[in-house]
Amino acid sequence: MAAKPGSAPTTYSPSLIQKTRPPIFKDNDLDWVRPDGRGFHQCRPAFFRTGAVNSASGSAYAEFGNTKVIVSVFGPRESKKAMMYSDIGRLNCNVSYTTFATPVRGQGSDHKEFSSMLHKALEGAIMLETFPKTTVDVFALVLESGGSDLPVVISCASLALADAGIMMYDLVAAVSVSCLGKNLVIDPILEEESYQDGSLMLTCMPSRYEVTQLIFTGEWSTLDINEAMQLCLDACGKLGKVMRSCLKEAASASQE
Amino acid sequence: MVGLSVGEKHFIQGGIAQDLRSDGRKRLTYRPIYVETGVIPQAHGSARIRLGATDVIASVKGELGKPSALQPDKGKIAIYVDCSPTAAPMFEGRGGEELSTELSVALQRCLLGGKSGAGSGIDPSSLVIVEGKVCWDLYIDGLVISSDGNLLDALGAAIKAALSNTGIPKVNVASETSGDEQPEVNISDEEFLRFDTSGIPVIVTLTKVGRHNIVDATSEEESQMSSAISISINRKGRICGLTKRGGAGLDPSIILDMISVAKHVSEQLIDKLDSEIAAAEADEEES
Repeated sequence: MAAKPGSAPTTYSPSLIQKTRPPIFKDNDLDWVRPDGRGFHQCRPAFFRTGAVNSASGSAYAEFGNTKVIVSVFGPRESKKAMMYSDIGRLNCNVSYTTFATPVRGQGSDHKEFSSMLHKALEGAIMLETFPKTTVDVFALVLESGGSDLPVVISCASLALADAGIMMYDLVAAVSVSCLGKNLVIDPILEEESYQDGSLMLTCMPSRYEVTQLIFTGEWSTLDINEAMQLCLDACGKLGKVMRSCLKEAASASQE
Repeated sequence: MVGLSVGEKHFIQGGIAQDLRSDGRKRLTYRPIYVETGVIPQAHGSARIRLGATDVIASVKGELGKPSALQPDKGKIAIYVDCSPTAAPMFEGRGGEELSTELSVALQRCLLGGKSGAGSGIDPSSLVIVEGKVCWDLYIDGLVISSDGNLLDALGAAIKAALSNTGIPKVNVASETSGDEQPEVNISDEEFLRFDTSGIPVIVTLTKVGRHNIVDATSEEESQMSSAISISINRKGRICGLTKRGGAGLDPSIILDMISVAKHVSEQLIDKLDSEIAAAEADEEES
């Protein structure tokens, strides 16, 4: 699948001043490039499409380079009887990988860590009080893992929720940055992720300029954190626009 | 989870706004920390930490294993947390499982650093005995005995204490083997190697209640939080990991403020914890 030419801006690379740090790769390594030929602050083209699954209340498909995910949203439906009464709605998230998603054939089982991260990233954006006593299910399936899986899943899930007509304060856009040596590379691919010294993932609601989830690993100085967060926020803002235009496109197509 | 009346909620929130919490602490004061080391003789290292009514145990066990093919020069470290249903009825079954995974993941993220091992509390390459063939696999297990809020900070401190208590047996490689053969190893039961624990970060959780941040929240205070950020910081003041809990969104500048507050708090916490660990070790040797 490829995006229609001229339909939507497909890249969401942050526009940042080229940093003035000296390159860490000296001499013949100076022209170090990323495996897919991108610049350090250049994102993969993002492609979104809503309505990927007919039987779901809402669904979305996202493709960022080799990372391909599909998310479907079911509900709101009645909460299970065993659950306690709740005057706000419940969000149930599940992320799983297909057996063929990874280079080594996997188990295809649920990814508990990602499921809970997805839940935490989305819960702040959804108006849970609009559907009391009920549950919304968000099921994400990673068809192909090509790096930055979790951010793609989160962005795609918020689009699927919007497609299902679940009330939200704003769309949630997610971007991750990897720290390789002294360089920050945005939207890392699988190969880069396996060598990273640290990573930062930021999910935010671009129009409200609010961070819903933030995760770092590795050792960071305050300066690097500042820079990485700025990069992510800028990219999230642009990614939000790409997602919005995808929703508009779908809405205008259904009106015709 | 915690049933509070409207009056109690107001009391907690009002107290935090006036910098006098219901147990008499200020916003950025920890409860007294009690450390006990060597509580589990079966393990290579262990510690128990009490923070008010929060009570956790961490144990460290090493097993000889084979390094993974992708990283032949690194040992493996795994952290698991178990929430016992004896601590609270809600830990039974799935409720405990969810919290356990959440805590395990947060601890792994905060203490083990990036994939390449940068920013890790323990250098994974120090666990290797014969490159590509034999290494120590370190299993760190946390157990929540009693929960009164701030589990993550307590577990982080317990793991730090347990690791400084840990002695891994010295391994002598018997003879040079060639090719693919597994070398023969001899585990000494007299000589033990200790870890350098100075680089292990502490975890500081800042809980946001209303417009203010508090550290070391009790479970009543946690029930009133809008969001919380757990930041792990090492002695050099570098951030080694960060996770956010709670749904409410935060402005990026507030997060940066919280990081600088956490840095300030962490300095005192590291000093306090180090002196407590040293005292506990001295106690253990006496007895």
